[in-house]
Amino acid sequence: MSKPILEMRGISKSFAGVQALKNVSFRCQAGLVYGLVGENGAGKSTLMKILAGVYKADAGDIIYKGMPRLSASTGEIIASGISIIYQELALVPQMSVAENIFLGREPRTSMGLLDLGRLYARSDELLSRLGVALDTRSLVSQLTIAQQQLVEIAKALSQDADLIVMDEPSAILAGSELDQLFDIIAALKAQGVTIIYISHRLEEVFRIADEVTVLKDGEVVDSRPIGQLNRHTLVRLMVGRSLDEIFPQTDHEQGDLALIADDIATDTILDGVSLRLHAGEILGIAGMVGSGRTELARALFGADPLTRGEVRLAGATPQWKTPSQAIRAGVALVPEDRKSQGLFTALSVRINVTIPILSRLSRLGIVRRQTEEQVVEDARQRLSIVMTSPEQETQYLSGGNQQKVVLAKWLETAPAVIILDEPTRGVDVGAKFEIYKLMRQLNDRGIAIIMISSELPEVIGMSDRILVMNDGRVAGELLRENADEERIIELATLGGAEAQSA
Amino acid sequence: MNALGGIMRGGAGGRALFLRRNGPIIMVYAFILLLVVIGATQSERFLTERNLANVARQSAFLGIVALGQMLVILTAGIDLSVGSLVKVSILVSAIVMNGESANVVPAILAALALGVLVGLIHGFLINELRIAPFIVTLASLVILKGIGLTISSSPVGKASREVMMFYVQKVGPLPVIALMFFVLVILTMLLLRYTVFGKHLVAVGGNVEVAHLSGVPVKRTRYGVYVICSLTAAVTGLLWLSRMGVGDPAIGDGIELQTITAVIIGGTSLFGGRASVLGTLGGVLLLGITANLLVMLGVSQFIQGLIQGVIIVAAVALYKQEGD
Repeated sequence: MSKPILEMRGISKSFAGVQALKNVSFRCQAGLVYGLVGENGAGKSTLMKILAGVYKADAGDIIYKGMPRLSASTGEIIASGISIIYQELALVPQMSVAENIFLGREPRTSMGLLDLGRLYARSDELLSRLGVALDTRSLVSQLTIAQQQLVEIAKALSQDADLIVMDEPSAILAGSELDQLFDIIAALKAQGVTIIYISHRLEEVFRIADEVTVLKDGEVVDSRPIGQLNRHTLVRLMVGRSLDEIFPQTDHEQGDLALIADDIATDTILDGVSLRLHAGEILGIAGMVGSGRTELARALFGADPLTRGEVRLAGATPQWKTPSQAIRAGVALVPEDRKSQGLFTALSVRINVTIPILSRLSRLGIVRRQTEEQVVEDARQRLSIVMTSPEQETQYLSGGNQQKVVLAKWLETAPAVIILDEPTRGVDVGAKFEIYKLMRQLNDRGIAIIMISSELPEVIGMSDRILVMNDGRVAGELLRENADEERIIELATLGGAEAQSA
Repeated sequence: MNALGGIMRGGAGGRALFLRRNGPIIMVYAFILLLVVIGATQSERFLTERNLANVARQSAFLGIVALGQMLVILTAGIDLSVGSLVKVSILVSAIVMNGESANVVPAILAALALGVLVGLIHGFLINELRIAPFIVTLASLVILKGIGLTISSSPVGKASREVMMFYVQKVGPLPVIALMFFVLVILTMLLLRYTVFGKHLVAVGGNVEVAHLSGVPVKRTRYGVYVICSLTAAVTGLLWLSRMGVGDPAIGDGIELQTITAVIIGGTSLFGGRASVLGTLGGVLLLGITANLLVMLGVSQFIQGLIQGVIIVAAVALYKQEGD
């Protein structure tokens, strides 16, 4: 075994008395891909921030390319060839791809002016190293999220990075975009670049990692070559729970018809979708990003106006045109993007949980504060939300707890129908399990659930029926018994024509 | 890591959170105290009942509109038109009143109707035509000012005797106008703390998309808040009539910036979602006392403006340090 390029030894770190990392050791060989997995709060990001020089470790050593690096500043770390690509991309939307790549390090002419020729030439060269065709003159604001991520990677390469840390890069990608990212990782690896890949999604880790390190509660549980692991063992290492329990099964009876949508369309992509949803049922919606899944959710909830068709509860005429009418009719939507659509991140847990039911908690427009506090306390207990107080701002909660706050908010509205758009995105395996369990409990209470998800194992594991969407329409419907990943992907990519023959 | 961030901030105790939220307010009041000490030691007239009553009354003129402005800013909006509206309000009410006691009620109703109308127009343009509040109310600042000066460029109309008496009326040592402001401060606090509408204001300012998807009637909330803000300006126009006795077209200019200043000094976020009534009260008092003190000490008007500017920058710079 050759000498490691990076060695972190015995790293410990605590924040305000809470031990975030305990004696963590982690080493990388040049040119390999390392998966770093663990639940939220396990210490992955803290470890990487210590590597980046953002935090100072209380104890331990960092040796990078033979040099001690424990007390280096963030600037020195970048100069030494370590780049970290965070989940929140740090690009200036109004500037071009090339300007972003060399932001703050723009090539200059001998006159001290901007050397535009070299700026674009070097950017083109970097992107071709990644095997990507992207106009370096286009503005970042015109790029897709996936393309923006590529710009970040190119930026890292422009700093001569030979170790790139990617913090949950897949959280913002889907389908083909992910394949492209993996191709790029493979290309970087072939060029001798070392990658540390942080992810919740185990399938990805199996696809690209050479070695996997599992963190749990601030300690390294295990570090093994990927060949010695399977999904089952990895999940158990992460949560101490076996894979069979991930999708809790119940033998519930499918109830009466709950929600009916007939031929609905919006002026977004949605183009004539009909569906029937029954009490106590989970209807999974699969499809590529851009196939109209999210638009369907929004249309069912009255968030986007319908251009034709109608949505109604079974046995009732009430229709709704706005979210507030939908909420009163008994429909809830847990949106896809928690931070921009689901949660007031800068506001308290209290207002987040009670905002849709304020009128119920009030008389003559005056909120009964005790009732309000009781509601928040009940929600905290029921969903075991970890928070310091009801006044805590939700931005300081972990992803899983944030999602529980969003769920709590909607459960308070006592809905008959809940639409969940990517309910487990960005939450760790443990919290995922809790969310699945909760969905089953809701089923048992007769609540009908529509679940949109990009994770096929989740769709197949949880749904009673699955609608596959393609290009704004339903490409096909599968029962759980005859659903498998190949079939879903086929429908999602090829569209409905073939669905009928099966 | 998010979870750790939470523990860190939570773990440092409620005290850190308390300071982070209330730091600006504490600073504003500490600064007011400092000014009072300076005033008391530098001028014999400062701590007299007469002068303090004056300060309270003048603060009310700014403060009532500042409360409306704060609510608008809480929703991540802004209302630049309040000064011009005060101007039109004093002119219209003075003309309608025309010195007659019998016309007091129609004059008041006219001013209030004006406020409601302007607020509804703002709400309409912002809600239905999706124009930014800054643009809408900037246009309205210019238009209302033009209307005001078209109505008259010299004093017109007249307040009735009772209306003029209202300005000097007191309850004990406290001017009625100051008392009115004080009541509105309490009502605004209750509004934000205990009412559905108050929470909706916070939600719209916190994140309008989340609010929409949570069933908050975003449009209605916006209509409401712009009407309230315009009403505070209309009422202040009436108070100015009580003070001036005539419809003076010079009244109103610059109130928009003064109210925004008071709100910002009080620690309310210009990005919406967080407001402090006590902070705004502090900001209003700070501006009022500064102005009063500078006059007492014989400092020129132009230097006053300069000092106000310094206060804004200093206050916001201090909050920034506090926030990090």
